[in-house]
Amino acid sequence: MTSLESTIIDGYGLSAEYRAVLKPGEPLVDFLGNTHYLPRYFYKVENWAQAKETMLSPHFTYSELVLVDCREDDLILKQLPHFLPCAASLLVRYLELLRERVGAPIHVAANGGYRSPAHKLSDKPGPHCWGTAVNIYRIGEVFLNSEEVISRYGAIAKSMAPEIYVKPFGHGPDETDDHLHLDIGYIHMVPRYLNEAVKPERGNA
Amino acid sequence: MTSRVIEYLGPLISNIQRVSRYATLTAAGVSLYDYETDLFWSSNGDRQFHAASTIKLAVMLGAFKAVEEGIIDLSDQLHVRNRFLSAADKTPYHVENSRDGDTEVYQRIGRTMSIDELVELMIIRSSNLATNLLVDFLGAEYIQRVLQKAGAQNIYLKRGVEDHRAFNQGINNEVTANGLVQVLRAIYEPYFFSTASRDRMLEVLLKQNFNSMIPAALPSDVRVAHKTGEISTVSHDVGLVFVPNRKPYILAILTEFVPGKENHAQPLAGISLAVYEFLMRQTLER
Repeated sequence: MTSLESTIIDGYGLSAEYRAVLKPGEPLVDFLGNTHYLPRYFYKVENWAQAKETMLSPHFTYSELVLVDCREDDLILKQLPHFLPCAASLLVRYLELLRERVGAPIHVAANGGYRSPAHKLSDKPGPHCWGTAVNIYRIGEVFLNSEEVISRYGAIAKSMAPEIYVKPFGHGPDETDDHLHLDIGYIHMVPRYLNEAVKPERGNA
Repeated sequence: MTSRVIEYLGPLISNIQRVSRYATLTAAGVSLYDYETDLFWSSNGDRQFHAASTIKLAVMLGAFKAVEEGIIDLSDQLHVRNRFLSAADKTPYHVENSRDGDTEVYQRIGRTMSIDELVELMIIRSSNLATNLLVDFLGAEYIQRVLQKAGAQNIYLKRGVEDHRAFNQGINNEVTANGLVQVLRAIYEPYFFSTASRDRMLEVLLKQNFNSMIPAALPSDVRVAHKTGEISTVSHDVGLVFVPNRKPYILAILTEFVPGKENHAQPLAGISLAVYEFLMRQTLER
């Protein structure tokens, strides 16, 4: 087991207050009206220092994908530990690939990685609640706030794999004008050594 | 006005009129409340002016009331994002770094800053970006309700700053000198905020970086907790003036100029000095 694998927890085993916020395995209707089941398995880190030290991939830390503001639920925002759906470790492989293609560091915006279903921006939920979406506000020294750069980097991202979705530039719903939204859809990652039929005892966190 | 009041206030009024004429102001609203003498006086105190950056006082009031109502903590983080929706048509707009009094908040785009940091930069460097982030988060309606509860009449927060589409449609933030004095009374007096909130707001106002108006001509031992506001044809300043060995006074000076007129600050400094000298004479006579 790697150190990251050792942090995996089953959301069904969380305390009632955490399950009320993270809703592991529960159905959620997305912004298109389609129903999806929320992630059940999470990486758990005990504090922010650990989140900053924990590498999901060579260039992306755990903390970059869980940085949120006060629109997030207080339990997630102000209490420890932190949780991140396991599928985020797959997302960062694509971010590494994008970093390689553009030859510059990728900067994920606050509220632009994982957002719990209780986050105020989850009123129209999407893959952010699965840890499989990012909002990139800057690549290298370039801020992604114009049609030209959002379209240019969006085209590069889309060319990497057919499962990658990039929101087009625009001011309407499902469009972006001050960041590049990239996601890989609704993905559940289940560690191979865990039995999905088993529901663990409820925990304290 | 009775002859006794004219005798009492006459020198102040004539001095303000002299400064206004000399500076060819197209309008001036002045309001004064003195805690030492309990004098409340105003000239054009209820005239509406474009608020310019004095509206940021209202935003600070809203932020601290939200803290006291448990909606936010001062340490809460906000995502710094330069994207706002116009009050005119809900289409996006952004504020220009080059037209802002502060650049620090722009360095944090994409990351987060605390409510407390944003409030401070909104006041001491008049950060437009910090202002719009707070208005966007708190909501103009919420801030307007706080103003009403504070008793601040005729202060209208309708939009964020630098919203040009709203400006072109005549949707503007408006203030009066009397209303702004009431805002500072709500900050200084204990009826509306906790001691902790009042102390922090005063601390921020005392750190003001732009000091070319109310404080400019006053003696160096006078401290002024204040907020300025300037756009092309208006210059305003509103502040609590702390003079050693007496209670403070609140002064709001709102002015309008003809376009192209330069040196907007000088007449406000002149009016501020006239008020200071008037009050010091009253204090001596007492």
